[in-house]
Amino acid sequence: MLEESLAKKRGNFSATVCANKQIRERFYRLVLEFSGEGAEAFAKTGAGQFAQLDLSDTALPSVEAIPDDLADVAERKILLRRPFSFADVTTKGNKTSVDILYCVIGPATLRMTTLSAKESVSVLGPLGNGFWVPDGTKTALLVSGGMGAGPLQHLAKVLTSDFPDIDVIAFAGARSAEALPFERRLDEISQQLGFSLPEFAKYGVESLVATDDGSAGFTGPVTGCLSEWLGRSKSAGKGMVIYSCGPEAMLARVAEIAKEKNIDCQVSMERRMACGISLCQSCAVECRTTGSNETVYKLCCQDGPVFDGSEVAWGIE
Amino acid sequence: MSEEVDISVEFAGIRLANPVFTASGTSGYADELGDFMDVSSLGGFITKSITVKPRKGNATPRIVETDSGMLNAIGWANIGLDAFIDEKLGALEKLSCSVFVNIAGETIDEYVAVAERLAGERAIAGLELNISCPNVELGGISFGTEPEQVAEVTSAVKKVSGDKVLMVKLPPAVTNVSVIAQVAVDSGADALSLINTFTAMVIDIETRKPVLANRTGGLSGPAIKPIAVYLVNKVYEEVTKSLGIPILGMGGIRTVSDAIEFIIAGASAVAVGTANFVDPGCTAKIVEGIKKYCAGKNISNVKELVGSLEAEQDAAN
Ligand SMILES: Cc1cc2nc3c(=O)[nH]c(=O)nc-3n(C[C@H](O)[C@H](O)[C@H](O)COP(=O)(O)OP(=O)(O)OC[C@H]3O[C@@H](n4cnc5c(N)ncnc54)[C@H](O)[C@@H]3O)c2cc1C
Ligand SMILES: Cc1cc2nc3c(=O)[nH]c(=O)nc-3n(C[C@H](O)[C@H](O)[C@H](O)COP(=O)(O)O)c2cc1C
Ligand code: FES
Repeated sequence: MLEESLAKKRGNFSATVCANKQIRERFYRLVLEFSGEGAEAFAKTGAGQFAQLDLSDTALPSVEAIPDDLADVAERKILLRRPFSFADVTTKGNKTSVDILYCVIGPATLRMTTLSAKESVSVLGPLGNGFWVPDGTKTALLVSGGMGAGPLQHLAKVLTSDFPDIDVIAFAGARSAEALPFERRLDEISQQLGFSLPEFAKYGVESLVATDDGSAGFTGPVTGCLSEWLGRSKSAGKGMVIYSCGPEAMLARVAEIAKEKNIDCQVSMERRMACGISLCQSCAVECRTTGSNETVYKLCCQDGPVFDGSEVAWGIE
Repeated sequence: MSEEVDISVEFAGIRLANPVFTASGTSGYADELGDFMDVSSLGGFITKSITVKPRKGNATPRIVETDSGMLNAIGWANIGLDAFIDEKLGALEKLSCSVFVNIAGETIDEYVAVAERLAGERAIAGLELNISCPNVELGGISFGTEPEQVAEVTSAVKKVSGDKVLMVKLPPAVTNVSVIAQVAVDSGADALSLINTFTAMVIDIETRKPVLANRTGGLSGPAIKPIAVYLVNKVYEEVTKSLGIPILGMGGIRTVSDAIEFIIAGASAVAVGTANFVDPGCTAKIVEGIKKYCAGKNISNVKELVGSLEAEQDAAN
């Protein structure tokens, strides 16, 4: 039995840092490379799957490099791994590299910024279930809020390479132009709708931007931008799938819009995770059951993180 | 030094291949760990708490990290006795390590109902009684804090548990843990496990609300280890040593030396909980490490280590 399972589907692998680039004040893109068994396991990573990184031994940045709002928590010791999904997965020869788009919000992501080339990181993965493509899909709308743009970039790549007949359009939202986790500088971002973010354009995917304060693209939440687009679209509904990743309130609104328009919808959920591998039951997501008012808790790390938008019991908690 | 070290242990009449368990609630129903280690290489496996009826568990957040520890308030989320027997026992039977089922309840009848059903199951070596549950018939006072209740629940379960080893899991936050330990043993416990988690709270200073949806949660991980070592030693010296009752020691074990500390303190075997979340293969490493430590100290049988704490402090210090 052991011999059979030698080609592991998932496991605890050591990855080597290739790059860790600051793309904006609080946003970074980390590239990790796997060889051997890890390369095999991660080569098959689906868009929306994730991994658990051990950052407990990673160094802190110098005092000057610590943002004021994190100065107080910076020294906190890290015990648990942290979950991250992938913005890209590429295989070259017998190596697999994965990109993680991340935002510095606490002690672990602060330490993450000091990872430098050739350092090794312990990575548990690939974990969970990613996005899927229902039969008959003709149009895919990728709707992200803030950091949710990461896994949707990977999805854009998978859709355009494996499903060339599907039209893909990306919607990216954030509080302001500064809070958009993309490399393009604010002064390059056009104020009108329909311009292209390079991260999506490189796959031939058009993108629309929305900012709450109107500093780039559509003024208002990305869900407003989506609604407006759907209102103008002649084919809304049939053969369309909305894929969404971002803050939970946004996902709930996206699921609501999808329901109104009778569009399939998949959402990537976030929960605090201790293990990421269904040992601890910490990552419960309340879900509806068919044919009753009862709800059940599913595990974000095992049953998700991607759920059908109509399945999640939004706002009951 | 080619002599093989014997790290098998006799535990309340069962032969364990080695003295390392995974702790209840931190390694699911065993199948979840399979991708990361060979569960059969352990001395023992303990399931999460099983209750008569399935339990959804608490709302999220269910966990929060603390310095060198974590709080959990999972709420005994489990599939319930019937589903456990139908869906999980088959796989557990195939494990070559000893399987203990942790049982929980809110009334004495609930504990008894679970124990009675499991007493006839071949797959199971023993029962671990989680007495850190609120007794709903007594207004929610934890079973484990009142000597009379400990006596009542232990003897009631003992009556129906047949030839299964009955292990009672002690809560740490009591006036005198030895009093509880003595009552458990007098009421029929064949073994004791300690410690369960400490009830604790983390407050979000922005919202001034507790971080956990349940307000409080159980503190586990390296933060509690020195207290756990002390309590194991106390119970060993004051209660179990003279009676030959074995202790399963736990609380914050992450490394080989942590495990050995517990054994020296008086534990016949140890269980690893929170550390599985960080490294799901850590228990296998601890098994190997114990062997190496014994070999290095010319200890031919790990039994020699149990309770080998030197009484006197070196005068030179
Ligand atoms: C499946 C999954 C995929 C993820 N993918 C990415 C990704 O690609 N890029 C990225 O930047 N981040 C991602 N995250 C979030 C990332 O795991 C957290 O940002 C990280 O754990 C923060 O660690 P920290 O120590 O820096 O901050 P912490 O101190 O742990 O957190 C900072 C603040 O954020 C809150 N918080 C942290 N984690 C969560 C959570 N899961 N749910 C709700 N609130 C939380 C805490 O309450 C705290 O106030 C993902 C999370 C999940 C569950
Ligand atoms: C997430 C989590 C869930 C737990 N669930 C249970 C449980 O269902 N029943 C139980 O008796 N103990 C449970 N425990 C307690 C552990 O079995 C153990 O006693 C405690 O965590 C101390 O060990 P540790 O520091 O190695 O984790 C749980 C602990 C954690 C962290
Ligand atoms: S994070 Fe542990 S069960 Fe999902």
